[in-house]
Amino acid sequence: MTGTQKTGETPVLERTSTVRVPVGGRAWFVQRRTIGLVVGCVVAMLGLGFVGLSYGTSWATPGEVFGALTGLEPSVVIAEWRAPRVVAGILFGAALGVAGAIFQNLTRNPMGSPDIIGLDAGAYTGALLVMTVFAGASVTVAFGAVAGGLVTAALVYSLSRSNGLSGMRLVVIGIAVNAMVTALNNWLVLRAELEVAMAAVGWNSGSLNGIDWEDLVVPGVVIAVLLTVIGLRASALQQSALGDSIAVSTGVPLERQRLLMVLVGVGCTATVTAVAGPVMFVALAAPQIGRRLAQAPGVPLLPAALTGAVLLQFADLVAQMLLAPVSLPVGVVTTAIGGGYLIWLLAQEVRRR
Amino acid sequence: MSLLRSRLTRGAAAAAALALTVGLSACGAAGEEQTEGPTRQFKADNGTVEIPQDPKRVVATGYAVPSLIEADAPLVGISSWERGEPMMSDEDLKTYKDLPKVAGETAAETNYDAIAEQNPDLIVIGVPKPIFAEIDAERLESIAPVVAIGPNVPSAWREVSHKQADAAGALERFDEVKGEYEAKAEKLKDKYADALSGLKLAHVGGYGEVENGNFQREFDGSWGTNIAGDIGATYYGEVKEKGKGSRAVSEYPSLEELPSAMREADAITYTVNADGSVPQSVKYVLDSNLWKNLPAVKKDMTFPIKYTEAATYGQAQQTLDALDESFAPLLKK
Amino acid sequence: MTSAPPASPPTARTARPAILVVGLLALFAAGVASVAVGARAVPLGELWGALADFDPLNGDHLVVRDIRLPRTLLGIAVGAALAVGGALIQTLSRNPLAEPGILGVTHGAGFALTVGAALGLAGSAVSQLGLGVAGSVLATALVYAVGRHSTLRLLLAGVAFSAVLMGVSLGIRLTSPDTLDKYRFWAVGSLAGREQTDLTVPLVAIGAALVGALVIARSLNAIALGETVAHTLGANVARVRTATLVLITVLAGAATAVAGPILFVGLIVPHLLRRLTSGSVPWLVGLSAVVGPILMLVADTIARVLLHTGEVPVAIVTAFLGGPVLIWVVRRYGAGSL
Repeated sequence: MTGTQKTGETPVLERTSTVRVPVGGRAWFVQRRTIGLVVGCVVAMLGLGFVGLSYGTSWATPGEVFGALTGLEPSVVIAEWRAPRVVAGILFGAALGVAGAIFQNLTRNPMGSPDIIGLDAGAYTGALLVMTVFAGASVTVAFGAVAGGLVTAALVYSLSRSNGLSGMRLVVIGIAVNAMVTALNNWLVLRAELEVAMAAVGWNSGSLNGIDWEDLVVPGVVIAVLLTVIGLRASALQQSALGDSIAVSTGVPLERQRLLMVLVGVGCTATVTAVAGPVMFVALAAPQIGRRLAQAPGVPLLPAALTGAVLLQFADLVAQMLLAPVSLPVGVVTTAIGGGYLIWLLAQEVRRR
Repeated sequence: MSLLRSRLTRGAAAAAALALTVGLSACGAAGEEQTEGPTRQFKADNGTVEIPQDPKRVVATGYAVPSLIEADAPLVGISSWERGEPMMSDEDLKTYKDLPKVAGETAAETNYDAIAEQNPDLIVIGVPKPIFAEIDAERLESIAPVVAIGPNVPSAWREVSHKQADAAGALERFDEVKGEYEAKAEKLKDKYADALSGLKLAHVGGYGEVENGNFQREFDGSWGTNIAGDIGATYYGEVKEKGKGSRAVSEYPSLEELPSAMREADAITYTVNADGSVPQSVKYVLDSNLWKNLPAVKKDMTFPIKYTEAATYGQAQQTLDALDESFAPLLKK
Repeated sequence: MTSAPPASPPTARTARPAILVVGLLALFAAGVASVAVGARAVPLGELWGALADFDPLNGDHLVVRDIRLPRTLLGIAVGAALAVGGALIQTLSRNPLAEPGILGVTHGAGFALTVGAALGLAGSAVSQLGLGVAGSVLATALVYAVGRHSTLRLLLAGVAFSAVLMGVSLGIRLTSPDTLDKYRFWAVGSLAGREQTDLTVPLVAIGAALVGALVIARSLNAIALGETVAHTLGANVARVRTATLVLITVLAGAATAVAGPILFVGLIVPHLLRRLTSGSVPWLVGLSAVVGPILMLVADTIARVLLHTGEVPVAIVTAFLGGPVLIWVVRRYGAGSL
């Protein structure tokens, strides 16, 4: 693009923040905001992570936490139970934020996020089928979720893809498919026995409870690869977000570009859903919140990822503390926090006018 | 029985209080000692597990909560189990309320941290098989031996609660309660032998997924019928399309089919709440004109049954008492 | 997007009364089918007998009079309310995705019912109705207060608010399985099992709101052309908007309170009719009030015969009827034409 890779470490960040604003004077301002956002989010993540490691039925002292992390004072609970949960919050939150930003860019509509266009509902169908029809082990529930999400995504994508892809059409078809899949889910839950129904509802609300390092290896690799891919293509993503005609005139191969982005978005959503269940609303809210924090036009990826990570991490802590010692599914809290914050932001904007 | 029981529990509570004071004065050192007693092999839903012969600190979840409280097992932590609360005796309810909660109502939200904190030597998971997959068994096994013992059909509580008590080393008290139940059931069976013999019964249930416009019909071996079965009641007919678990013994037809379903019944029983009120799904049937046209209803042969969700021998004794009370008019006919 | 070209083709104009007549005939046929079909096989002769010569001891007559007739009337009212509500909100927001559910009405009602059930307030049918309507009114008021300045923000606020309520009620349901069980009754929309409930109040409310919708449709016609045009035409935009929102809330709130959340009727019926009514809002509202009930009754009749072991909640059928239709419309005409 415009040769903005000044800091070798974070070329992606630089590009996403500056490319989208052609006016030089304003670009500088946005960039500073973005750096501030990065620093703020990293500090928040570290702080929340530390609290997450310390918090339990009884609080661990900072000494114990550092001891466990460095291996000087081994603690299974901190190093093997709490640490993966903290990492999962950051990783999954970032993945969901990016997935949401991708879809919102593609469809040019804040409602075009994966949870609205049926991916989460499709994953739930897969999981429900495994729980009720082929009652089996948890491995197959994860498999069912991924399969369900992918099938739904393929359905939505192929249905909306005649004579090129229109964002609006994808949202409308996504909502239609989502409603049908949700109806199917409701029917499956109604048919199921009460115990199975409760387990299914529990799964559907998304949870980071019981996540081990083992559970994180595959999703971690998948998400890292997907985020790298999308990071390298971020500039093209901005191009296509500007509109078909601009993208075509600047020579971005539209169709292939979009398919790639859809694959990354679906991949992120499906991976998170397979491990944690559908953690609703992070994908919808994080990009919108991040966009406002960064004061950027469009829906930039980096703020979405950072906001998503902090949001999910924070929500998971609240979920553990709210009704302690009984912990809530994090999905319950993400919807409440994410939605509440979004409403507050909207109200703020109203007041400013 | 309740007198004896209350005395026993009070003794246990006093002992526990004493132990607590001692533990406190020992300043946290109590929890550290791992009891390495003799072990045995135990067959559960999750395979054969090596468990302590005489467990001292047991964590229970799901259906194991009411049965192990009743069997006076050495519990140190339980999951919340709201649906069992109305059927618990006052003493059991107090025990239930006082015990530390280590899990919510759903298996997915098991608080591993809180379970580890209790330092148990046995974990009894009382959930049906498909739900057990929701739990990180490996992590629990790193804390203590885990046995999964859950019901698959409504009437299975007899075997399930026996196995749970067996694993927790609380069979003594369990057998006592079971004996009381069986004696009581036998007595009632004799009492109603004439009245119930040859009587074709049908049951309107209120459990599970009764949708609007439908009603639940329960056959032999379902929630509403299995305890009545122990005193000699027989429910005629069977499920049109048998499913798994409870769906093999109950079905959910449309209200329009009520006349064809229950026209032949000599008497009809129906599920009511613990406080005697009629649940909405049952009330819907009872308020319809189709119900009022049924032969059994016209002959005034309808009987409410309380405590149909009993899942322990202690709770089932309450169900027997409720049946006795409800069936009493039968003897006069 | 939704405002049609000002000069509509004359053929569509003259066809409108014919469509209305065909619609009314179809509605009558759907009504007869809805009374005739069910789990119990009722001979056609008994059907007439139940209406003309009622015998309270005859099972067939009881089924028709006590169960199917009220259910059919309820289906007509709910179908009309949802379709007209959808037509109003799509016209007002000029967003083809707008649906009463998106404004938070459905989830507001659901949340109020869940909280009511958890507090033990939702025992009687009347209190359930009250809770449902109150919840939807509150939800709409809140969403409107936040998002009233722009359509996009209104929709965003609606989605956000719905999600917040969904999360909180999920939390309540998970910590209290009793409430979960009650919620499952209400979570999927259905017309079954309402016949014993006194539905006078919501049905009267729906009737009044339908009349109101027809009255206000003319002013909406002006707004549909754009706010500047509306101003020049002398319409009081703010007042018409507020009145329309009140109507939408009452229609959707009452329908949701009596039948539970039924998606797609409010989305699909106005879409199908917009092309036929060639941009006239009064015609759109009037025809929606006829076609909505047809869709509802057909779906409900299918719901009764789909499974021979029991019924399927009607919302599941409407989703499966409406979803493919919407996809077909989008693919056939493109999203821009919605």
